[in-house]
Amino acid sequence: MDLSLGLFGNAIVSGLLLGGFYAAVTIGISISFGMLDIANIAHPAFIVLGSYGAWYANSRFGVDPLIASVVLMPAFYLLGAGIYQLYYHAFERRGDASLRGLAFFFGLLFITEVGLILVFGVDYRLVRAPYIGPSLYLGALEFPLRLLVPFLASLAMVGLLWLYLSRSFTGRAILAVAQDAEALRILGADPVRIKRIAFALSIATTSLAGAILIVIQPVEPSIGRDYIGRVFAIAVLGGLGSFAGTVVAAILLGIMESLTATFYGPSWSPAIAFGFLLLALAVKPSGMFGR
Amino acid sequence: MASSLTLSGVTAGYGAVHVLEDVSIAVPAGATVALLGTNGNGKSTLMKCVMGLVRPSAGSIVAEIDGVRHELVGRSTEAIVALGIGFVPEGRRLFPKLTVTENLMLGAFRAAARPEIARNLDFCFETFPRLRERAGQLAGSMSGGEQQMVALARALMSAPRILLIDEPSVGLAPVLVRRTIDKIRELKDSRQLTVLMAEQNFTQAIRIADQGYVIVHGRIAFEGASAEALNNNELIRKFYLGM
Ligand SMILES: Nc1ncnc2c1ncn2[C@@H]1O[C@H](COP(=O)(O)OP(=O)(O)OP(=O)(O)O)[C@@H](O)[C@H]1O
Ligand SMILES: [Mg+2]
Repeated sequence: MDLSLGLFGNAIVSGLLLGGFYAAVTIGISISFGMLDIANIAHPAFIVLGSYGAWYANSRFGVDPLIASVVLMPAFYLLGAGIYQLYYHAFERRGDASLRGLAFFFGLLFITEVGLILVFGVDYRLVRAPYIGPSLYLGALEFPLRLLVPFLASLAMVGLLWLYLSRSFTGRAILAVAQDAEALRILGADPVRIKRIAFALSIATTSLAGAILIVIQPVEPSIGRDYIGRVFAIAVLGGLGSFAGTVVAAILLGIMESLTATFYGPSWSPAIAFGFLLLALAVKPSGMFGR
Repeated sequence: MASSLTLSGVTAGYGAVHVLEDVSIAVPAGATVALLGTNGNGKSTLMKCVMGLVRPSAGSIVAEIDGVRHELVGRSTEAIVALGIGFVPEGRRLFPKLTVTENLMLGAFRAAARPEIARNLDFCFETFPRLRERAGQLAGSMSGGEQQMVALARALMSAPRILLIDEPSVGLAPVLVRRTIDKIRELKDSRQLTVLMAEQNFTQAIRIADQGYVIVHGRIAFEGASAEALNNNELIRKFYLGM
């Protein structure tokens, strides 16, 4: 096979797999920002917390990081429920959620970061797992398992969440709650409870997303900041609240970044990717899959 | 079994604004009762009191469902819905970015409605064939008449025993008003509902009402035990119909 064609193919593959990671880190934002109108800018900080959870279980007890993160999910769910309850009583109930709410989540971001630094220090941490290192080959195409396994885990999580939201009564109420909370109430669903469940779910996803992050790259406490812009951009590009849109946008961004990094150098990739995002939003402001 | 609704001496308002003053209304089992009144007289506020969305400062609201009496004042809206009281609110309040089917499925949120969901959905689609054709359309993109159908159907999905309907005629062309009112009667009969309906459209409302109350400035100004009595009342002719 031609050398540059091989390069191209492998750039597409690793971009696709990277997109799976982006989908995992964005899906929670797709719920909190896309469905609940809560601009949780601390989301990436919770992802890093998820990384440390997986790292701790892995380095201390030798548990697989992805499995550890699934076991830890209920704890993240409870954390999310608690945060929402606080947010609701302090801001949302009084109707001044937008700007002060942003300050609240900014505060959470700092607290989480500083907390992690105090407990674990600023060193980079990494995990061990049998799929970190080897690759599958399909002709000239290389599928590194450290990207492929997280990709599959991410799609499984997004798929299960989507099933829950579209098939269950609570899930459908989550899809409706931002459109008209009082209308939900007169159908017998308490909108505050519905939002709490939804927000808690969005934080539960950070457990697995964090494990995926630390499988893919070493993690230090403030690394989440690198992703704040990207996760919101992907959520908006996909069409707020649309899971299919989020996955497609995540994969597009992954491929775009990977191609740019391969052919022009890694330092260009954020600029090109964001340029594309802005262009796409100028053409279709509601995002690709926005209703 | 039959279900009825009784309001006694209900007084309510919003903060310093007094809206309802000592209102008593009886909706007997299996009856359709019309709550008549022009803009701003308190019809919607009264319905919100029943649904627990506005809390009365005095009075009681009792629903008798299958022979069991429930005091509604002080209960949460969710608890009131759970008893089997359905509500079609003013302005319909559909979820515009959800499909017709998704809107209807949300109507069945209350636990008691879930086991019958397939049957009730079928019933709604049979009653409003247009909704079956448009099942996948976003509710927000439907016409006013179609949206009114969705709102009625969504309330039916909760399998209610008592149904409150706030101004079903609003925003509809005269022919559609007539059809909607006929539909409500048809639904009441086939589902054995007890209905309280707020309306400004006097002539249409009393076509199907067994009894009616006229509300003026938050007080019951006239109580008609039959459509006949309402039709022949001097007060109504003079003040309400402007004749
Ligand atoms: N949330 C509120 N806060 C303060 N006042 C309110 C509120 N809702 C209604 N009101 C007032 O209460 C009075 C009765 O309103 P209500 O909506 O019950 O009337 P209505 O009979 O349903 O009128 P319409 O036919 O126009 O719907 C009005 O004077 C209205 O301004
Ligand atoms: Mg009204």
